[in-house]
Amino acid sequence: MSIDQADMLQGVSAADAARLTALGSRAHIPSGAPLFELGAEARDVYLIERGRISLTLPMRIGARQEDVMVEERTAGQTVGWSGLIPPHRFTLKASAQLDTDVIVLPRAPLLEFFEANPAIGYVVTRNLASIVGQRLQVFQAMWLREMQRFVETRSS
Amino acid sequence: MVMFLMVLCMSVFGLAICGLAFGAATRGLPTGEEAPSTAAVDERLAAVPERFFVRDAAPQPAPAARLIPKVPIEVFLAQIERHIRLEQAAAESFLSAPSLESLHGRTVSPLVH
Repeated sequence: MSIDQADMLQGVSAADAARLTALGSRAHIPSGAPLFELGAEARDVYLIERGRISLTLPMRIGARQEDVMVEERTAGQTVGWSGLIPPHRFTLKASAQLDTDVIVLPRAPLLEFFEANPAIGYVVTRNLASIVGQRLQVFQAMWLREMQRFVETRSS
Repeated sequence: MVMFLMVLCMSVFGLAICGLAFGAATRGLPTGEEAPSTAAVDERLAAVPERFFVRDAAPQPAPAARLIPKVPIEVFLAQIERHIRLEQAAAESFLSAPSLESLHGRTVSPLVH
């Protein structure tokens, strides 16, 4: 996968995508290792180059607390967009399901780049809105399905 | 005369025995004058639970049964993850073609049946 095909960089030219990703650094996350923790300060956005990241939420099961996977992200997808959206706190825990390589894009140089290149900033921001909106819509539908079951259980 | 005195003595003796027996039988029963009023009951005594051999606290309703998995925790976690995947797929299916049917379509997840 070339980096300009990443979901956050759809519509950005390969040259501009290369300039943008040059702002960051590459990191390797071994299988099972965390990328970020729930509630931690979000300073970076991550583009997955290779591997798979699971996003989990803690759930109490009996007397135990377990991380339950709520989403998976694979190569070409973005995780950690809380790094660009206030209050800059991660609302999920992310960890590598496989050996994973990511491009770490720090917020401050990214925002400076967008100010200097507003056309690219606009495209990337639109892509980001699409990623955030997709999660919102999926979870909204999941919540409504759950509520429907609750109503059926209570009314039966 | 002797017989009269003998009958009299026996009658008095019998009367005394009956009186003693009656007194023993009715001892401890409150009379109308002796019965204490409700207001006069010692508050400390009132606080003592009537049910001596059971706990003071009134019986509480059984707490709602917690969802405790009957299968090993790893299996249960796998079921939850599968359920979430199926629900996400159903939600994405709804988003691609929004309708009431696709929103509330059933999945094969065992956690909702």
